[in-house]
Amino acid sequence: MFAVKAKKSQAKLRQSVKGKQMRFFEAQGVDELVSICMTLAQELWVVKERLASVEAAAAKKGVILGQEIESFAFSPEQRAMVDEEKKQFIERVFFTLREQAESLETKPTAEPDGPKVP
Amino acid sequence: MTENVDHDLKVDYSRDEMARQHFVSGMRTYVLNNLSGGMRTVYNKKVEPNFKKKNKRVPKTAPEIHKALKDETIFKFYSSMRCNTQEMVWRSVIPGIERQAEDLSAKTKVLAQSTQKANGTLTLDPKLAIPRYTADLDVHLMPGNYHEEHIPDDVSQGAIFDNGLSVFAMGFLGPRMDDITQSVSTYFTKRYPDFKPKAILDMGCTLGHSTLPWKQRYPNAEVTGIDVGAPSVRYAHGRAQSYGVSANFAQKDAEHTAYPDESFDVIYSCMFLHEVPKKNIRNIFKEAYRMLKPGGVMLHYELPPNKMLSAYDSFYLDWDSFYNKEPFYKAFRDSDPQEECTAAGFKKNKYFQYVAPSLNFYGESAIIKAIADAKANTEGENHMGRLVDGVQWFTFGAWK
Ligand SMILES: C[S@@+](CC[C@H](N)C(=O)[O-])C[C@H]1O[C@@H](n2cnc3c(N)ncnc32)[C@H](O)[C@@H]1O
Repeated sequence: MFAVKAKKSQAKLRQSVKGKQMRFFEAQGVDELVSICMTLAQELWVVKERLASVEAAAAKKGVILGQEIESFAFSPEQRAMVDEEKKQFIERVFFTLREQAESLETKPTAEPDGPKVP
Repeated sequence: MTENVDHDLKVDYSRDEMARQHFVSGMRTYVLNNLSGGMRTVYNKKVEPNFKKKNKRVPKTAPEIHKALKDETIFKFYSSMRCNTQEMVWRSVIPGIERQAEDLSAKTKVLAQSTQKANGTLTLDPKLAIPRYTADLDVHLMPGNYHEEHIPDDVSQGAIFDNGLSVFAMGFLGPRMDDITQSVSTYFTKRYPDFKPKAILDMGCTLGHSTLPWKQRYPNAEVTGIDVGAPSVRYAHGRAQSYGVSANFAQKDAEHTAYPDESFDVIYSCMFLHEVPKKNIRNIFKEAYRMLKPGGVMLHYELPPNKMLSAYDSFYLDWDSFYNKEPFYKAFRDSDPQEECTAAGFKKNKYFQYVAPSLNFYGESAIIKAIADAKANTEGENHMGRLVDGVQWFTFGAWK
Protein backbone atom coordinates (compact mmCIF):
# COMPACT_ATOMS: atom_id res chain seq x y z
CA MET A 1 0.00 0.00 0.00
CA PHE A 2 2.88 2.44 0.71
CA ALA A 3 4.90 3.49 -2.30
CA VAL A 4 6.71 6.05 -0.14
CA LYS A 5 9.38 3.68 1.15
CA ALA A 6 10.06 3.71 4.87
CA LYS A 7 13.65 4.96 4.88
CA LYS A 8 15.92 3.98 7.74
CA SER A 9 15.72 6.85 10.19
CA GLN A 10 17.33 7.19 13.60
CA ALA A 11 14.68 9.65 14.70
CA LYS A 12 12.04 8.49 17.15
CA LEU A 13 9.35 11.12 17.44
CA ARG A 14 6.67 11.10 20.08
CA GLN A 15 2.98 10.68 19.18
CA SER A 16 1.48 10.45 22.66
CA VAL A 17 0.70 13.65 24.48
CA LYS A 18 2.37 13.65 27.86
CA GLY A 19 0.76 14.69 31.14
CA LYS A 20 -2.88 14.74 32.13
CA GLN A 21 -5.26 13.19 29.60
CA MET A 22 -8.58 14.91 28.94
CA ARG A 23 -11.59 12.86 29.92
CA PHE A 24 -15.23 13.93 29.64
CA PHE A 25 -17.50 10.93 30.20
CA GLU A 26 -18.26 9.43 33.61
CA ALA A 27 -18.39 5.83 32.46
CA GLN A 28 -14.96 4.36 32.06
CA GLY A 29 -13.80 3.77 28.54
CA VAL A 30 -16.24 6.01 26.71
CA ASP A 31 -13.61 8.64 25.88
CA GLU A 32 -11.44 5.86 24.53
CA LEU A 33 -14.31 4.51 22.46
CA VAL A 34 -14.83 7.94 20.94
CA SER A 35 -11.19 8.02 20.01
CA ILE A 36 -11.30 4.54 18.52
CA CYS A 37 -14.43 5.35 16.55
CA MET A 38 -12.83 8.47 15.15
CA THR A 39 -9.76 6.60 14.05
CA LEU A 40 -11.93 3.90 12.50
CA ALA A 41 -13.78 6.59 10.64
CA GLN A 42 -10.44 8.02 9.54
CA GLU A 43 -9.20 4.69 8.27
CA LEU A 44 -12.43 4.06 6.45
CA TRP A 45 -12.00 7.45 4.88
CA VAL A 46 -8.47 6.50 3.81
CA VAL A 47 -9.86 3.49 1.98
CA LYS A 48 -12.62 5.52 0.39
CA GLU A 49 -10.23 8.22 -0.78
CA ARG A 50 -7.89 5.62 -2.19
CA LEU A 51 -10.72 3.89 -3.97
CA ALA A 52 -11.89 7.17 -5.41
CA SER A 53 -8.42 7.77 -6.80
CA VAL A 54 -8.24 4.24 -8.20
CA GLU A 55 -11.49 4.76 -10.06
CA ALA A 56 -10.51 8.16 -11.35
CA ALA A 57 -7.11 6.92 -12.46
CA ALA A 58 -8.56 3.86 -14.13
CA ALA A 59 -11.00 5.99 -16.03
CA LYS A 60 -8.15 8.13 -17.25
CA LYS A 61 -5.67 5.50 -18.35
CA GLY A 62 -7.37 2.18 -18.38
CA VAL A 63 -4.53 0.63 -16.35
CA ILE A 64 -4.16 0.42 -12.62
CA LEU A 65 -0.69 0.23 -11.10
CA GLY A 66 0.42 0.98 -7.53
CA GLN A 67 2.86 3.58 -8.82
CA GLU A 68 0.17 5.08 -10.99
CA ILE A 69 -2.06 5.60 -7.96
CA GLU A 70 0.77 6.95 -5.84
CA SER A 71 1.50 9.86 -8.15
CA PHE A 72 -2.09 10.49 -9.12
CA ALA A 73 -3.57 13.90 -8.34
CA PHE A 74 -7.25 14.82 -8.54
CA SER A 75 -8.22 17.71 -10.76
CA PRO A 76 -9.69 20.64 -8.80
CA GLU A 77 -13.17 19.51 -9.88
CA GLN A 78 -12.58 15.93 -8.78
CA ARG A 79 -11.08 17.16 -5.51
CA ALA A 80 -14.18 19.26 -4.87
CA MET A 81 -16.40 16.23 -5.46
CA VAL A 82 -14.34 14.05 -3.17
CA ASP A 83 -14.28 16.76 -0.48
CA GLU A 84 -18.02 17.04 -0.67
CA GLU A 85 -18.31 13.31 -0.27
CA LYS A 86 -15.99 13.42 2.74
CA LYS A 87 -18.20 16.03 4.35
CA GLN A 88 -21.28 13.90 3.90
CA PHE A 89 -19.46 10.80 5.07
CA ILE A 90 -18.50 12.45 8.35
CA GLU A 91 -21.96 13.83 8.89
CA ARG A 92 -23.41 10.36 8.34
CA VAL A 93 -21.10 8.62 10.82
CA PHE A 94 -21.79 11.13 13.58
CA PHE A 95 -25.45 11.64 12.82
CA THR A 96 -26.60 10.86 16.35
CA LEU A 97 -24.95 14.01 17.64
CA ARG A 98 -26.67 16.20 15.10
CA GLU A 99 -29.94 14.58 16.09
CA GLN A 100 -29.45 15.67 19.69
CA ALA A 101 -29.41 19.32 18.67
CA GLU A 102 -31.98 19.16 15.90
CA SER A 103 -34.50 17.38 18.07
CA LEU A 104 -34.56 20.53 20.19
CA GLU A 105 -34.87 22.89 17.27
CA THR A 106 -38.26 21.54 16.17
CA LYS A 107 -41.28 22.24 18.38
CA PRO A 108 -42.09 19.31 20.69
CA THR A 109 -45.08 17.39 19.27
CA ALA A 110 -47.74 15.88 21.46
CA GLU A 111 -46.17 12.49 21.20
CA PRO A 112 -48.14 9.71 22.84
CA ASP A 113 -46.29 8.01 25.65
CA GLY A 114 -45.48 4.33 25.23
CA PRO A 115 -45.62 1.86 28.05
CA LYS A 116 -43.57 2.71 31.14
CA VAL A 117 -40.20 1.01 31.30
CA PRO A 118 -40.30 -1.35 34.25
CA MET B 1 3.37 17.17 0.57
CA THR B 2 0.96 18.81 2.97
CA GLU B 3 -1.41 21.32 1.37
CA ASN B 4 0.16 24.65 2.44
CA VAL B 5 3.81 23.65 2.84
CA ASP B 6 5.39 24.48 -0.52
CA HIS B 7 9.02 25.37 0.32
CA ASP B 8 12.19 23.24 0.21
CA LEU B 9 11.53 21.66 3.63
CA LYS B 10 8.30 20.05 2.52
CA VAL B 11 7.77 16.42 3.50
CA ASP B 12 6.85 13.52 1.18
CA TYR B 13 3.69 11.78 2.25
CA SER B 14 2.05 8.71 0.78
CA ARG B 15 -1.42 9.00 -0.71
CA ASP B 16 -2.91 7.28 2.33
CA GLU B 17 -1.12 9.62 4.72
CA MET B 18 -2.48 12.55 2.75
CA ALA B 19 -5.97 11.07 2.88
CA ARG B 20 -5.55 10.81 6.66
CA GLN B 21 -4.70 14.53 6.72
CA HIS B 22 -7.69 15.38 4.53
CA PHE B 23 -9.91 13.47 6.92
CA VAL B 24 -8.61 15.43 9.91
CA SER B 25 -9.27 18.76 8.15
CA GLY B 26 -12.79 17.57 7.33
CA MET B 27 -13.32 16.41 10.89
CA ARG B 28 -12.25 19.82 12.18
CA THR B 29 -14.79 21.51 9.94
CA TYR B 30 -17.46 19.18 11.30
CA VAL B 31 -16.54 19.73 14.96
CA LEU B 32 -16.15 23.51 14.64
CA ASN B 33 -19.27 24.05 12.53
CA ASN B 34 -21.81 21.29 13.05
CA LEU B 35 -21.00 20.15 16.58
CA SER B 36 -20.27 23.60 17.94
CA GLY B 37 -23.48 24.85 16.32
CA GLY B 38 -25.36 21.96 17.91
CA MET B 39 -23.88 22.79 21.30
CA ARG B 40 -25.03 26.39 20.89
CA THR B 41 -28.57 25.18 20.10
CA VAL B 42 -28.61 22.94 23.17
CA TYR B 43 -27.44 25.91 25.22
CA ASN B 44 -30.07 28.29 23.82
CA LYS B 45 -32.99 25.88 23.88
CA LYS B 46 -32.29 23.86 26.97
CA VAL B 47 -29.43 24.90 29.24
CA GLU B 48 -30.15 28.62 29.40
CA PRO B 49 -33.93 28.19 29.95
CA ASN B 50 -33.28 25.63 32.71
CA PHE B 51 -30.78 27.93 34.38
CA LYS B 52 -33.28 30.78 34.17
CA LYS B 53 -36.00 28.70 35.78
CA LYS B 54 -33.74 27.90 38.71
CA ASN B 55 -31.96 31.24 39.19
CA LYS B 56 -34.50 33.75 37.82
CA ARG B 57 -31.83 35.12 35.45
CA VAL B 58 -29.64 33.96 32.57
CA PRO B 59 -25.97 33.02 33.09
CA LYS B 60 -23.83 36.14 33.12
CA THR B 61 -20.27 34.83 32.94
CA ALA B 62 -18.24 32.31 30.97
CA PRO B 63 -17.63 30.08 34.03
CA GLU B 64 -21.39 29.99 34.74
CA ILE B 65 -22.06 28.85 31.19
CA HIS B 66 -19.26 26.32 31.35
CA LYS B 67 -20.62 24.86 34.57
CA ALA B 68 -24.16 24.69 33.23
CA LEU B 69 -23.13 23.06 29.93
CA LYS B 70 -20.50 20.60 30.98
CA ASP B 71 -22.86 17.78 31.93
CA GLU B 72 -24.61 17.86 28.54
CA THR B 73 -23.82 14.96 26.22
CA ILE B 74 -23.23 17.36 23.34
CA PHE B 75 -20.57 19.19 25.37
CA LYS B 76 -18.85 15.92 26.12
CA PHE B 77 -18.83 14.82 22.50
CA TYR B 78 -17.78 18.26 21.29
CA SER B 79 -14.94 18.31 23.81
CA SER B 80 -13.77 14.77 23.38
CA MET B 81 -13.93 15.01 19.58
CA ARG B 82 -12.14 18.35 19.53
CA CYS B 83 -9.33 16.90 21.67
CA ASN B 84 -9.16 13.85 19.45
CA THR B 85 -9.13 15.93 16.27
CA GLN B 86 -6.39 18.09 17.72
CA GLU B 87 -4.24 15.06 18.52
CA MET B 88 -5.00 13.59 15.10
CA VAL B 89 -3.72 16.79 13.46
CA TRP B 90 -0.23 16.09 14.81
CA ARG B 91 -0.46 12.32 14.39
CA SER B 92 -1.36 12.77 10.73
CA VAL B 93 1.96 14.50 10.01
CA ILE B 94 4.44 12.92 12.46
CA PRO B 95 5.17 9.58 10.70
CA GLY B 96 6.43 11.22 7.49
CA ILE B 97 8.59 13.63 9.48
CA GLU B 98 10.01 10.81 11.56
CA ARG B 99 10.95 9.02 8.32
CA GLN B 100 12.60 12.10 6.81
CA ALA B 101 14.04 13.77 9.94
CA GLU B 102 17.70 13.37 8.93
CA ASP B 103 16.91 14.48 5.42
CA LEU B 104 15.14 17.62 6.63
CA SER B 105 17.99 18.49 8.94
CA ALA B 106 20.52 18.08 6.09
CA LYS B 107 18.40 20.22 3.75
CA THR B 108 18.09 22.92 6.41
CA LYS B 109 21.88 23.07 6.72
CA VAL B 110 22.30 23.48 2.97
CA LEU B 111 19.70 26.25 2.90
CA ALA B 112 21.35 27.98 5.88
CA GLN B 113 24.72 28.06 4.13
CA SER B 114 23.50 29.06 0.70
CA THR B 115 23.48 32.79 -0.07
CA GLN B 116 21.94 32.30 -3.50
CA LYS B 117 18.46 33.59 -2.75
CA ALA B 118 18.77 35.25 0.66
CA ASN B 119 21.34 35.89 3.36
CA GLY B 120 19.66 36.00 6.74
CA THR B 121 21.63 34.82 9.77
CA LEU B 122 20.95 32.03 12.28
CA THR B 123 22.20 32.28 15.86
CA LEU B 124 21.77 29.37 18.25
CA ASP B 125 22.38 29.36 21.98
CA PRO B 126 22.66 25.74 23.19
CA LYS B 127 22.97 26.97 26.80
CA LEU B 128 19.63 28.78 26.76
CA ALA B 129 17.21 27.34 29.31
CA ILE B 130 13.68 26.65 28.06
CA PRO B 131 11.32 28.65 30.34
CA ARG B 132 9.81 26.48 33.10
CA TYR B 133 6.26 27.26 32.05
CA THR B 134 6.68 25.62 28.66
CA ALA B 135 9.55 23.14 29.10
CA ASP B 136 7.34 20.26 30.21
CA LEU B 137 4.15 21.05 28.39
CA ASP B 138 2.84 19.52 25.17
CA VAL B 139 1.20 22.83 24.30
CA HIS B 140 -2.10 22.48 22.39
CA LEU B 141 -1.69 18.69 22.58
CA MET B 142 1.35 18.84 20.27
CA PRO B 143 3.76 16.08 21.27
CA GLY B 144 7.24 17.56 21.73
CA ASN B 145 6.21 21.23 21.83
CA TYR B 146 8.38 23.69 19.84
CA HIS B 147 11.69 22.70 21.35
CA GLU B 148 12.13 18.94 21.87
CA GLU B 149 15.13 17.55 19.97
CA HIS B 150 15.42 13.96 18.75
CA ILE B 151 18.59 13.93 16.60
CA PRO B 152 21.53 16.37 16.18
CA ASP B 153 20.56 19.62 14.39
CA ASP B 154 16.94 18.52 14.57
CA VAL B 155 14.16 20.48 12.86
CA SER B 156 11.39 17.90 13.41
CA GLN B 157 9.33 19.97 15.82
CA GLY B 158 9.40 22.82 13.30
CA ALA B 159 8.19 20.45 10.59
CA ILE B 160 5.46 19.10 12.88
CA PHE B 161 4.14 22.59 13.55
CA ASP B 162 4.33 23.69 9.89
CA ASN B 163 2.67 20.61 8.41
CA GLY B 164 0.27 20.31 11.35
CA LEU B 165 -0.74 23.96 10.98
CA SER B 166 -1.55 23.29 7.35
CA VAL B 167 -3.89 20.42 8.29
CA PHE B 168 -5.32 22.51 11.12
CA ALA B 169 -5.84 25.76 9.17
CA MET B 170 -7.46 24.20 6.06
CA GLY B 171 -6.47 27.16 3.89
CA PHE B 172 -8.01 29.60 6.36
CA LEU B 173 -4.64 31.32 7.00
CA GLY B 174 -3.82 31.94 3.35
CA PRO B 175 -1.52 30.06 0.95
CA ARG B 176 1.58 30.55 3.13
CA MET B 177 -0.36 30.47 6.39
CA ASP B 178 0.81 33.99 7.21
CA ASP B 179 -2.45 35.88 6.68
CA ILE B 180 -2.54 37.20 10.25
CA THR B 181 0.71 39.13 10.01
CA GLN B 182 0.14 39.97 6.33
CA SER B 183 -3.12 41.66 7.37
CA VAL B 184 -1.88 43.20 10.62
CA SER B 185 1.28 44.65 9.03
CA THR B 186 -0.60 45.94 5.96
CA TYR B 187 -3.03 47.73 8.25
CA PHE B 188 -0.12 49.15 10.22
CA THR B 189 1.76 50.49 7.17
CA LYS B 190 -1.38 52.04 5.70
CA ARG B 191 -2.38 53.53 9.05
CA TYR B 192 1.08 55.02 9.75
CA PRO B 193 2.50 55.72 6.26
CA ASP B 194 5.22 58.11 7.52
CA PHE B 195 6.67 55.64 9.99
CA LYS B 196 9.76 53.99 8.45
CA PRO B 197 11.25 51.39 10.81
CA LYS B 198 14.85 50.27 10.34
CA ALA B 199 14.92 47.37 12.81
CA ILE B 200 12.02 45.00 13.53
CA LEU B 201 11.85 42.20 16.11
CA ASP B 202 9.32 39.33 16.16
CA MET B 203 9.15 37.62 19.57
CA GLY B 204 8.10 33.96 19.79
CA CYS B 205 8.48 33.72 16.02
CA THR B 206 8.33 29.86 15.77
CA LEU B 207 8.70 29.23 12.00
CA GLY B 208 8.71 32.84 10.82
CA HIS B 209 5.10 32.97 9.57
CA SER B 210 4.82 36.15 11.61
CA THR B 211 8.33 37.42 10.78
CA LEU B 212 8.69 37.39 6.99
CA PRO B 213 5.69 39.60 6.10
CA TRP B 214 7.46 42.53 7.82
CA LYS B 215 10.33 42.24 5.33
CA GLN B 216 7.76 42.51 2.52
CA ARG B 217 6.30 45.67 4.06
CA TYR B 218 9.70 47.23 4.86
CA PRO B 219 12.31 45.72 2.49
CA ASN B 220 15.10 47.97 3.80
CA ALA B 221 14.56 47.08 7.45
CA GLU B 222 16.60 44.50 9.36
CA VAL B 223 14.02 41.90 10.43
CA THR B 224 14.76 39.42 13.24
CA GLY B 225 12.73 36.60 14.77
CA ILE B 226 13.54 35.13 18.19
CA ASP B 227 12.29 31.96 19.84
CA VAL B 228 13.45 29.67 22.64
CA GLY B 229 13.05 26.53 20.52
CA ALA B 230 16.17 25.56 18.55
CA PRO B 231 14.29 23.32 16.06
CA SER B 232 11.88 26.21 15.45
CA VAL B 233 14.51 28.86 14.64
CA ARG B 234 16.57 26.44 12.52
CA TYR B 235 13.48 25.58 10.51
CA ALA B 236 12.36 29.24 10.36
CA HIS B 237 15.73 30.23 8.92
CA GLY B 238 15.66 27.41 6.34
CA ARG B 239 12.10 28.31 5.35
CA ALA B 240 13.01 32.00 4.90
CA GLN B 241 16.10 31.11 2.85
CA SER B 242 13.98 28.83 0.69
CA TYR B 243 11.45 31.59 0.06
CA GLY B 244 14.30 34.03 -0.72
CA VAL B 245 13.59 36.34 2.22
CA SER B 246 16.58 37.73 4.15
CA ALA B 247 15.58 37.63 7.80
CA ASN B 248 17.64 36.79 10.88
CA PHE B 249 16.64 34.19 13.43
CA ALA B 250 18.05 33.72 16.91
CA GLN B 251 17.41 31.36 19.79
CA LYS B 252 16.63 33.76 22.62
CA ASP B 253 14.27 34.22 25.54
CA ALA B 254 12.09 37.32 25.04
CA GLU B 255 12.31 38.03 28.78
CA HIS B 256 16.04 38.73 28.57
CA THR B 257 17.34 39.04 25.03
CA ALA B 258 20.70 40.78 25.69
CA TYR B 259 19.97 43.15 22.78
CA PRO B 260 21.17 46.70 23.57
CA ASP B 261 18.79 49.38 24.85
CA GLU B 262 16.85 51.25 22.16
CA SER B 263 17.78 48.91 19.31
CA PHE B 264 14.40 48.32 17.58
CA ASP B 265 11.71 50.48 15.98
CA VAL B 266 9.03 47.77 15.96
CA ILE B 267 8.70 44.94 18.48
CA TYR B 268 5.97 42.56 17.43
CA SER B 269 4.46 39.24 18.45
CA CYS B 270 1.76 37.06 16.94
CA MET B 271 -0.23 34.38 18.80
CA PHE B 272 2.55 34.42 21.39
CA LEU B 273 1.26 36.03 24.58
CA HIS B 274 -1.57 33.58 25.26
CA GLU B 275 1.02 30.82 25.68
CA VAL B 276 2.91 32.80 28.35
CA PRO B 277 1.96 33.27 32.04
CA LYS B 278 0.98 36.79 33.08
CA LYS B 279 4.05 37.31 35.24
CA ASN B 280 6.33 36.52 32.31
CA ILE B 281 4.28 38.69 29.91
CA ARG B 282 4.97 41.59 32.26
CA ASN B 283 8.72 40.91 32.07
CA ILE B 284 8.53 40.59 28.29
CA PHE B 285 6.73 43.96 27.96
CA LYS B 286 9.34 45.61 30.19
CA GLU B 287 12.10 44.08 28.08
CA ALA B 288 10.35 45.34 24.93
CA TYR B 289 10.13 48.84 26.40
CA ARG B 290 13.86 48.75 27.13
CA MET B 291 14.74 47.57 23.60
CA LEU B 292 12.50 50.10 21.82
CA LYS B 293 13.87 53.33 20.42
CA PRO B 294 11.93 56.43 21.49
CA GLY B 295 9.15 56.81 18.93
CA GLY B 296 9.16 53.05 18.33
CA VAL B 297 6.15 50.79 18.70
CA MET B 298 5.26 47.54 20.46
CA LEU B 299 2.55 45.58 18.64
CA HIS B 300 0.77 42.27 19.38
CA TYR B 301 -1.71 40.19 17.46
CA GLU B 302 -3.83 38.14 19.87
CA LEU B 303 -7.20 36.63 20.58
CA PRO B 304 -9.56 39.36 21.71
CA PRO B 305 -9.83 39.98 25.48
CA ASN B 306 -12.84 38.47 27.23
CA LYS B 307 -14.29 41.90 28.02
CA MET B 308 -14.81 42.49 24.28
CA LEU B 309 -16.86 39.29 23.92
CA SER B 310 -20.22 37.95 25.03
CA ALA B 311 -20.24 35.48 27.93
CA TYR B 312 -20.93 32.58 25.57
CA ASP B 313 -18.11 33.52 23.18
CA SER B 314 -15.74 33.86 26.13
CA PHE B 315 -16.74 30.41 27.35
CA TYR B 316 -16.26 29.08 23.83
CA LEU B 317 -12.73 30.51 23.45
CA ASP B 318 -11.74 29.67 27.03
CA TRP B 319 -12.44 26.00 26.31
CA ASP B 320 -8.85 25.67 25.05
CA SER B 321 -7.46 26.79 28.36
CA PHE B 322 -9.20 23.95 30.18
CA TYR B 323 -8.92 21.13 27.69
CA ASN B 324 -6.40 21.89 24.96
CA LYS B 325 -3.29 22.32 27.13
CA GLU B 326 -3.27 26.09 26.87
CA PRO B 327 -3.00 26.73 30.62
CA PHE B 328 -2.25 30.47 30.44
CA TYR B 329 -4.70 31.41 27.73
CA LYS B 330 -7.62 32.29 30.02
CA ALA B 331 -5.61 34.46 32.41
CA PHE B 332 -4.23 36.37 29.44
CA ARG B 333 -7.66 36.88 27.91
CA ASP B 334 -9.06 37.97 31.29
CA SER B 335 -6.40 40.68 31.54
CA ASP B 336 -6.63 44.22 30.19
CA PRO B 337 -4.08 44.80 27.39
CA GLN B 338 -3.89 48.53 28.08
CA GLU B 339 -3.12 47.97 31.77
CA GLU B 340 -0.38 45.51 30.86
CA CYS B 341 1.22 48.06 28.53
CA THR B 342 1.16 50.86 31.08
CA ALA B 343 2.55 48.54 33.79
CA ALA B 344 5.62 48.12 31.55
CA GLY B 345 6.23 51.86 31.27
CA PHE B 346 4.19 52.82 28.20
CA LYS B 347 2.09 55.97 28.63
CA LYS B 348 -1.64 55.33 28.84
CA ASN B 349 -2.44 57.71 25.98
CA LYS B 350 0.10 55.94 23.75
CA TYR B 351 -1.97 52.75 23.73
CA PHE B 352 -3.99 51.75 20.65
CA GLN B 353 -5.82 48.77 19.28
CA TYR B 354 -7.31 47.81 15.95
CA VAL B 355 -9.05 44.99 14.14
CA ALA B 356 -7.53 44.22 10.75
CA PRO B 357 -9.74 42.52 8.14
CA SER B 358 -8.09 39.49 6.52
CA LEU B 359 -5.96 40.46 3.52
CA ASN B 360 -6.38 36.98 2.06
CA PHE B 361 -10.19 37.00 2.26
CA TYR B 362 -11.09 40.63 1.64
CA GLY B 363 -8.04 42.28 0.01
CA GLU B 364 -6.22 45.54 0.66
CA SER B 365 -9.24 47.72 -0.08
CA ALA B 366 -11.08 46.28 2.95
CA ILE B 367 -8.11 47.19 5.15
CA ILE B 368 -8.01 50.74 3.78
CA LYS B 369 -11.74 51.04 4.41
CA ALA B 370 -11.39 49.72 7.97
CA ILE B 371 -8.73 52.37 8.65
CA ALA B 372 -10.97 55.13 7.27
CA ASP B 373 -13.90 53.87 9.38
CA ALA B 374 -11.77 53.72 12.52
CA LYS B 375 -10.49 57.25 11.94
CA ALA B 376 -14.00 58.57 11.41
CA ASN B 377 -15.29 56.93 14.59
CA THR B 378 -12.70 58.13 17.07
CA GLU B 379 -10.46 60.99 17.88
CA GLY B 380 -6.75 60.41 18.09
CA GLU B 381 -4.93 57.16 18.56
CA ASN B 382 -6.85 55.57 21.36
CA HIS B 383 -9.61 53.99 19.33
CA MET B 384 -11.29 50.70 20.09
CA GLY B 385 -11.14 48.08 17.42
CA ARG B 386 -14.64 46.84 16.75
CA LEU B 387 -15.29 43.14 16.36
CA VAL B 388 -17.77 42.25 13.68
CA ASP B 389 -18.43 38.96 11.94
CA GLY B 390 -15.87 37.68 9.46
CA VAL B 391 -12.18 36.87 9.33
CA GLN B 392 -10.34 39.62 11.17
CA TRP B 393 -7.42 39.97 13.50
CA PHE B 394 -7.36 41.84 16.83
CA THR B 395 -4.19 43.82 17.46
CA PHE B 396 -3.04 46.08 20.28
CA GLY B 397 0.08 48.04 21.02
CA ALA B 398 1.72 51.17 22.37
CA TRP B 399 4.17 53.80 21.17
CA LYS B 400 7.21 54.65 23.24
C1 LIG C 1 2.10 29.97 19.30
S1 LIG C 1 3.76 30.07 18.96
C2 LIG C 1 3.91 31.57 18.01
C3 LIG C 1 3.51 31.44 16.57
C4 LIG C 1 4.18 32.38 15.60
N1 LIG C 1 4.45 33.69 16.11
C5 LIG C 1 3.30 32.45 14.36
O1 LIG C 1 2.66 33.48 14.17
O2 LIG C 1 3.26 31.49 13.60
C6 LIG C 1 4.58 30.52 20.47
C7 LIG C 1 6.11 30.47 20.38
O3 LIG C 1 6.67 31.19 21.46
C8 LIG C 1 7.87 30.56 21.87
N2 LIG C 1 8.18 31.05 23.23
C9 LIG C 1 7.55 30.76 24.39
N3 LIG C 1 8.10 31.46 25.40
C10 LIG C 1 9.09 32.23 24.85
C11 LIG C 1 10.00 33.19 25.37
N4 LIG C 1 10.03 33.51 26.67
N5 LIG C 1 10.86 33.78 24.52
C12 LIG C 1 10.86 33.48 23.19
N6 LIG C 1 10.02 32.59 22.65
C13 LIG C 1 9.15 31.97 23.46
C14 LIG C 1 7.55 29.09 21.73
O4 LIG C 1 8.74 28.33 21.63
C15 LIG C 1 6.70 29.08 20.47
O5 LIG C 1 7.50 28.85 19.34
